[in-house]
Amino acid sequence: MERLEVMKKELYRCIHCKACKFTYSGDPSREGVGEYKGVLYEGMVPSCPSGLEYGWESFWNAGRMWIARCIMEGDLEFSENVRDTIMQCITCGMCEVQCENKVPTVDIIESLRAACYFSGVPLIEKHELVSKLVVERNNPYGGDKDKRFEWVKENGLEEYLDKKGAKIAYYVGCTASYRQINIAVATCKIFKRLGIDFALVTKEVCCGSPFFRIGRTDISQDLMNTNLELFKKYEMVLFSCAGCYRTFTVDYPKWIKKELPFKTNHAFELISDMVKDGKIKFKENPELKGKVVTYHDPCHTGRHFYIDTQRKIIDESKNLIFDLRKLNKWKEEWFEKPRIIIRALPGVKFNEMYRIHENSFCCGAGGGVRAGYPDFSLKTSSLRLDEAEAVGADFMLTECPFCWRNLDDANTMYNHGIPVYGILELIDKYDLIAD
Amino acid sequence: MSYKKPDNKDLEAMIGIVGKNYATANDAICASYLSKSVMGLESQIPDIVIRPKYPEEIRKILVYCSQEKIPVSPISGGLSGGFACPLIRPGGVVLDLSRMDRIIEIDTENRIAIIEPGVTLGQLWAYMHKHTPEYCPPIPDGAPPSSTVMGDAIDRGFSLVTSSMGPQGDIFMAAEVVIPRGDILYTGSWALPTAKPFYKYGIGPDLWSTLMGSQGTMGVITKVAIKIFPHPEHKTVVVWGMSNPQDMQNLTWQIGNQEFGIAHHCVMVQGGNYPLVMTRWPKEKVPHDYEFYKEIGFSRWWMNFEVWAQTQEELEYTEKRIDEFAKKFMESKECKDPKAIIKQELHPKQIASRLKKPNKIAIPYGYWEAGFLFITWYTPWKDCAEFAEMYNKVLEDHGIAPVMWIASIERCRQAICMPIICFDSTKQEDFEKVQEINRITTEYSIKRGWLNYRPDPYIHAPMMYSQAGTYLKYLREVKKMFDPNFIMHPGRLMLP
Ligand SMILES: Cc1cc2nc3c(=O)[nH]c(=O)nc-3n(C[C@H](O)[C@H](O)[C@H](O)COP(=O)(O)OP(=O)(O)OC[C@H]3O[C@@H](n4cnc5c(N)ncnc54)[C@H](O)[C@@H]3O)c2cc1C
Ligand code: SF4
Ligand code: SF4
Repeated sequence: MERLEVMKKELYRCIHCKACKFTYSGDPSREGVGEYKGVLYEGMVPSCPSGLEYGWESFWNAGRMWIARCIMEGDLEFSENVRDTIMQCITCGMCEVQCENKVPTVDIIESLRAACYFSGVPLIEKHELVSKLVVERNNPYGGDKDKRFEWVKENGLEEYLDKKGAKIAYYVGCTASYRQINIAVATCKIFKRLGIDFALVTKEVCCGSPFFRIGRTDISQDLMNTNLELFKKYEMVLFSCAGCYRTFTVDYPKWIKKELPFKTNHAFELISDMVKDGKIKFKENPELKGKVVTYHDPCHTGRHFYIDTQRKIIDESKNLIFDLRKLNKWKEEWFEKPRIIIRALPGVKFNEMYRIHENSFCCGAGGGVRAGYPDFSLKTSSLRLDEAEAVGADFMLTECPFCWRNLDDANTMYNHGIPVYGILELIDKYDLIAD
Repeated sequence: MSYKKPDNKDLEAMIGIVGKNYATANDAICASYLSKSVMGLESQIPDIVIRPKYPEEIRKILVYCSQEKIPVSPISGGLSGGFACPLIRPGGVVLDLSRMDRIIEIDTENRIAIIEPGVTLGQLWAYMHKHTPEYCPPIPDGAPPSSTVMGDAIDRGFSLVTSSMGPQGDIFMAAEVVIPRGDILYTGSWALPTAKPFYKYGIGPDLWSTLMGSQGTMGVITKVAIKIFPHPEHKTVVVWGMSNPQDMQNLTWQIGNQEFGIAHHCVMVQGGNYPLVMTRWPKEKVPHDYEFYKEIGFSRWWMNFEVWAQTQEELEYTEKRIDEFAKKFMESKECKDPKAIIKQELHPKQIASRLKKPNKIAIPYGYWEAGFLFITWYTPWKDCAEFAEMYNKVLEDHGIAPVMWIASIERCRQAICMPIICFDSTKQEDFEKVQEINRITTEYSIKRGWLNYRPDPYIHAPMMYSQAGTYLKYLREVKKMFDPNFIMHPGRLMLP
């Protein structure tokens, strides 16, 4: 409740205007890609996966903000009803970027969840389970602690395990360690090929992201402290997971109330900069020739960094009328980074979906929703794949193993016929780096 | 008047009508409908929320609630903030009409759109932009995209054609209304089952007007036919700045008073003072001194003329004529401060941004502190400067930024004057301050014969209706005719 109290003034800026119900809520006449499967991808499009799924006001962001306000004013008490409403938010942040009053919706939801849990309302069963697993095994999947880096041996990457003298570490994360091993392997191989001297830190633990999101901030802080201790000796930490990257870069400094002792970078940023500087060139692969790819901006690397940058500009500004303009310049460069890589791939055609950049529609996996509400989560992913179908995509690219997992599952379940790849994974699989 | 708080049996009855997925007494869901902002600062959490889809469902709900004496409040978009929420305890039933979102017909020949109450501005704008780009719906300029076309019109709002075509309520041609007595009433020419919705006064005398501005207190509108308008591609915004509200009022009147030609091309005529710019940012993050705003090109007061024309010549001619009027006005004795009458040259990007509809322009007033209130009054056009001066002084006396927005209705026949009260809704003392401001200004306004637009039930409605006893007596009779057990939105207005 303390964190919520701190945000009271920001919460009370919400006027229940519901602009956050729309993506591109300030762009009513935006040109788009037309109508597909009953959705008009033009102008403003409904924004919130949870509102779309359930319909009641409480499942749209505006309703959740007023639930928070009712709690603060004593008009409503924490209960399982409240928990079930606020938990079905993917914390994607789409609502936050639409808000002209800059209400920090995701932080409010997360604080509300924590307050709900600490008020004595139990977590839902599935969240209880992952919490138990992470405490016992350092990962929410229940994988054996000692087998976190098993994939290293199978792929001849042992030399990187706790490599001495390396100034760069690659934080692999739980999803790439136990589920999307393809992403971890592809990332290491590309780093190796590019001559990056890096270490895999065998004692790494879950970054804590799911637990920051679902309100178990006690668990997430323990995990954070362990990781900070382990990684503090490196100059830079690299990531292949959008969620881990966001958690280290955005959440950790907020909780420790100071800057991180190392730099953080996602692999795609690194590769993008190298492509831009001409240090990496790609070659064509006949199997990909003429294929249409599209790109899904993960909320955690896209929108959440946008929101964080905006917040920093606001905090530092003395005259926001001028300073907020800086955000646009930053935004253009930031969202272009993965696109620089994709545009440099010869032979493939790149078609953008309608909702991109900070307006990207979520894959449905975040905020504890994939674990807690798998049907809703996969349906949301399927809506995203519909959008990819609308632009004729043969493949979907992204740079988050968690998005990957959900999108790929939905692709299979709903027969979209659009395989999903991580950008680095595609580069590795089709051997696209020119010698 | 006493009302029943709905219980489980009542919920079961509602579920029997709409199905279990569309009626709930879940306390978290009910709480999420609450709003204490924008217009009404006082409101209550409902006990049951229902999301009906069909008029017949609503008819059954109203008949049941009427029998049981359960209050019912309809919400279409809910963008009138606290005004759409229940006002009394028990909160009773809220009808969330967002599922009734069909765009039934766009008839360009008769320039009519037939829509359900849940059709939002964003939705209708996108639909017509795609399917009938040569026509557009008369949506409010500043209302957020989630508000509804029907809700704005029944609320007698201000839309993108109001300055030229007349009050927003006039865009209705016909409606389907579910009455708590258990009938479905058709107004306008729809009263005759074979008629198209081409004549709003129908077979006369007109019953529809009793529903205008009723704020949900008479019945539930389930379908409307509204006027649509041509959407020409030649558009621009012409802005003239000045130093005081009198010059703004009098220059604008010169143009509106032409009545024909250029007055009609100025579809939206709206202006205000520089705090309108300042208070869209956090209080501690922008300069408060006017000199800063002057440097970035804002006059102390200004008037925007949004011009729509069928041809470029027409557009240029209108702009030229507005400029000529301004210059002539500058030289006239009526002008208080000729030196300050300055044309504001807008960058094409600024023009494009002002032409955007619907937009989010009025949302960030919540950013100044933590919340805001629109208090809107109608005055004869030539009283609007006096209103602005009076109101701004009261605001300043109470330490609140003097933010004033004024627009012309029907070519300066009336003014819609809207102070935006930006206050800190985390503080109880600020709430009290706002009510004090409200009381002082309402007293003054009523003496001057000005009308409150969306009267709140605590100050505006009692003060206004107490001056209009006979009118109120008949209004109550009308209400009784539609809603014999007074279940519709009790407490709203001065109706039981
Ligand atoms: C930031 C902001 C800017 C705004 N700018 C403008 C503007 O430029 N111009 C303007 O005119 N308004 C403006 N408004 C006011 C508001 O948007 C309009 O009043 C709104 O369009 C009303 O539509 P709604 O669907 O949201 O109505 P609601 O809030 O749902 O309802 C309005 C009233 O009608 C009643 N009602 C709702 N549905 C029905 C029904 N089906 N049958 C009977 N009664 C019903 C409700 O009980 C309520 O009293 C603004 C509001 C905000 C928050
Ligand atoms: S969060 Fe922002 S956009 Fe959403 S309802 Fe509140 S003020 Fe409006
Ligand atoms: S964070 Fe995403 S899912 Fe949650 S309310 Fe906002 S838009 Fe909806």
